[in-house]
Amino acid sequence: MEFAQIIKSATEEIFASMIFLDLSCAAPLTSEKEDLGCYVTAMIGLSGDLNAILAIHCPAKVGTAIGGAMLGMEIEEVDDDTKDALGEIANMLAGGLKEAFAIKKLDLLLAIPTTISGNAYKISTPSGSNRILLPFEIEAGRFYVDLKYSLS
Amino acid sequence: MNHAEQITDATCEIFSSMVMLKVTAKEATKRTKPEFKNSITGMVGLAGTVKGNLLIHLPAPVATSVTTAFLGMDVDCIDDDVCDAVGELANMLAGAVKTALDPSGSDIKLSMPSTVYGESYNLDCLNSGISVLVPFNIEGAEFSVELQLIDG
Repeated sequence: MEFAQIIKSATEEIFASMIFLDLSCAAPLTSEKEDLGCYVTAMIGLSGDLNAILAIHCPAKVGTAIGGAMLGMEIEEVDDDTKDALGEIANMLAGGLKEAFAIKKLDLLLAIPTTISGNAYKISTPSGSNRILLPFEIEAGRFYVDLKYSLS
Repeated sequence: MNHAEQITDATCEIFSSMVMLKVTAKEATKRTKPEFKNSITGMVGLAGTVKGNLLIHLPAPVATSVTTAFLGMDVDCIDDDVCDAVGELANMLAGAVKTALDPSGSDIKLSMPSTVYGESYNLDCLNSGISVLVPFNIEGAEFSVELQLIDG
C-alpha cells in the first residue's frame, strides 16, 4: 500500500477543509534519527491490520500557527489549545488512514492521542519498524507527519 | 477489580517474573503535572471497544538499573537498549491490563510501543475519560504506571 500517498492526501484534505492553510508537501525523508528541531508532537497508536504510531511534529511557531488557524484565534505559545488542536489533527489523520484501509477491506483501530512538548525530547520506536516521514510546508514553516509501522 | 488494582497486579507480576526486582505499589492517584525531568516514558495505545494508553514513567537512573536487571547488560545512560527495554515493559504491562479489561481477548488490540525521553518534556493526554496513576517504590527510588481510558 502506498502509505506516503495516503498520508499526503489525508493531510491535504484536513488542511483544506478544517484548517484553511495553504500547504505543500516535500519528498519523504529517509534518514532515521535526524533532529527535526520540533517543539511539539501529537501522536496516536494504531492497531488491527497495521501496528503503528502516527505522529505530527511541529516547531513551536508552526504548531501555534496550525492551532490558531484551526481554532480561529491568536495563539502566542504552545498551550493546551494548541495541543488539543494537534491531537485532534493526529486523530483525523489516523481516521484518514483508517478510511483508506477500509476501502481495501483492512481493519484499523485507533487509540487516543497524546501530545509531547518541550525543548529536549526524543521519541523512539522498536528497532526494525518501518517509517515514512513526510515534510510539509506552510507559511509559518515546516512540519512533519510521521508513520512508524510494522505489518501485523 | 478497579484500574489501580489492575495496574498494580500487572506491574508487580511483570517486575517479579521478568525484571527480578521487587516493587511496592503506593496509593493510586491522578497525574497532576504534565512535566517530566530527565526521564523516559514508554507507552502503548489500546484500541477497540476500549481506547486508551498505558504509560510507564521512569526517571533516567531507574530506567538504566531496570534495563540492567531486565536485559542483563550494563547501561549507564538512556540508549537504544533502554528505549527497547522500556518499550517492551510498556508492551507487557499493556498486555496484562488488556487481559484484565478484556478477558475474551478479542475486543482490544495494542498498538506499537513508543518511548519518549529527554531532559525535560511535557506529556498530555487528550480527551481522556479515566486517568489512573500508580507510583511504585523500587530499591529506594520511584517510578509510575499510568492508564488512560475512554469508552470506544
